[in-house]
Amino acid sequence: MNVIETNNLTKYYGKIKGVEDLTFNVKKGEIFGFLGPNGAGKTTTIRTLLGYLQPTSGSATIFGKNINDDIVNIKREVAYIPGDLNIYGHQTGRDFLDYFASLRNREMVLLDELLKIFEVPLDRKVKGYSKGMKQKLAIIQAFMDDPEMVIMDEPTSGLDPLLQQKFYDFILKQKKRGKTMFFSSHILGEVDKVCDRVGIIRSGQLIALEDVEEMKQKRGKIIRVKIKEKIETFKGPKDAKIKDGWIEFVASDSIDTWIKKLSMYTIIDLDISDFALEDIFIHYYEGQT
Amino acid sequence: MNDILRLRIAFQTIKDYWKTTLIIALLFVAMAAMYTGMYPSFKDLLAEMMQSGSSDAYSFLPHADQMHTYVGFLTIELYEIFWLLILAIIIGFISASSITKEIEGRTIDLLMSNPVSRKQIVIEKFIGLIPMFLIINFTTMLTVVAITVSLNETLNFGFLFLVHIVSILYFIAVISIGILISVIFDEKMKASIIMIAILVGMYIINSLSLMSPDFKFMGSLSIYQYFDTFEILKFGQINGAGIFAYIGIITACLLISMIYFEHKDIPI
Repeated sequence: MNVIETNNLTKYYGKIKGVEDLTFNVKKGEIFGFLGPNGAGKTTTIRTLLGYLQPTSGSATIFGKNINDDIVNIKREVAYIPGDLNIYGHQTGRDFLDYFASLRNREMVLLDELLKIFEVPLDRKVKGYSKGMKQKLAIIQAFMDDPEMVIMDEPTSGLDPLLQQKFYDFILKQKKRGKTMFFSSHILGEVDKVCDRVGIIRSGQLIALEDVEEMKQKRGKIIRVKIKEKIETFKGPKDAKIKDGWIEFVASDSIDTWIKKLSMYTIIDLDISDFALEDIFIHYYEGQT
Repeated sequence: MNDILRLRIAFQTIKDYWKTTLIIALLFVAMAAMYTGMYPSFKDLLAEMMQSGSSDAYSFLPHADQMHTYVGFLTIELYEIFWLLILAIIIGFISASSITKEIEGRTIDLLMSNPVSRKQIVIEKFIGLIPMFLIINFTTMLTVVAITVSLNETLNFGFLFLVHIVSILYFIAVISIGILISVIFDEKMKASIIMIAILVGMYIINSLSLMSPDFKFMGSLSIYQYFDTFEILKFGQINGAGIFAYIGIITACLLISMIYFEHKDIPI
């Protein structure tokens, strides 16, 4: 079942292109990574999906409801963690959560669990919060009433590595419970870690939509090897790179062939790794794939 | 609809402005006490001014020729300037920034992530600003009553109450204009300055229409034209057309605000 479906979704700011002809879907129970550098159109896409911006053309549905006609009902099941976070500074953390709980008007089933994971000084005014504390409060408000989907725009900015890990663990747990996440980020490592599928956006257009694991597998493995013999004697692929005594190349077919070839040399060191999402992303951005 | 009836945004707006409400209410209590209490000291001087004809210099104010009477003094010193102009500017300034400041401060992003409609935001912000005025309105009225009794002056308190009832409509009209400005503009200061310019502009139009018959036709463009505090305080006469004009302004401003805000892009 698709939770989000967009069909040629387009948003222009006057004559300036925001996003154009976006067609993709997000399945129930998956963490969908939405990748792109700053200015690529990630936030425009999110704001259009949430009804903050009126689409110029095309359409989108969330839980089968059209974003143009039924956005209030959509938001009963969808929460949002904005990228550039601004919270009412004059309220305490508790006042803020109470206010939002009253607007949601349903039981805050995950609130206690969230407050244990993401501790915040609830009785302090939000204007005295650090960026990380505000970010934690934004995460708490988004998940506290156990929504079916959370749309996140750079959700871990301002969190320390320990909290980032707690956040990843939390959203993976929610995923197991069948919840859906739309995870917009430019931090490739975290997308690599938690996302099932990714959409890559460049200059307002979707240039790739793939399963993360498949994407990595079909690009093969990266082999890095140091040999005792002279490097020139190594018979590797033509595009093999040599750096600091390491020979580096991509094994796009079976690695068994390469292991057998390598056995003819005296190996000092060997490293076989998957393609990092970062490498794939850079390839897309350089237009090399 | 059920969500609007719960008025959570309206209650939050009241909470957000309670300190401001208290400060303005105290200011106007002090202002009302000062101007009402000043009358005995100025009474004779004003009577002399009337006889010498020097009150003509105040012809831009309605009923300037009645300045020497208690009702005339209250009208000109308290109601015409501090009430209808200064308080309108304060209330207008606040209402014009009510939604704009959420857009400029980007708190609207999280607010709109909740299941609330844009119409609901407009209506609830509007409703949330009304109690502020009601508190200022009735504390000021009670101050005028108290000082009048202590001065032993003659004033029909029923008519005074009527002034403060019509004031409710007048100030709700000001709030509705402010809300309209606040959904159109994205910068708080720009919205508030435009609101002040509109109110001061209408005041000048009204003054011009009073001073010169050539400009009399322009008076109907001003909200001040429809609220004659002297006529109500002295004779209990309400301008019926004015009541309809205020209801018309409130309805039109709210409808346009809702339609405009519904289609507005919330900028990044």
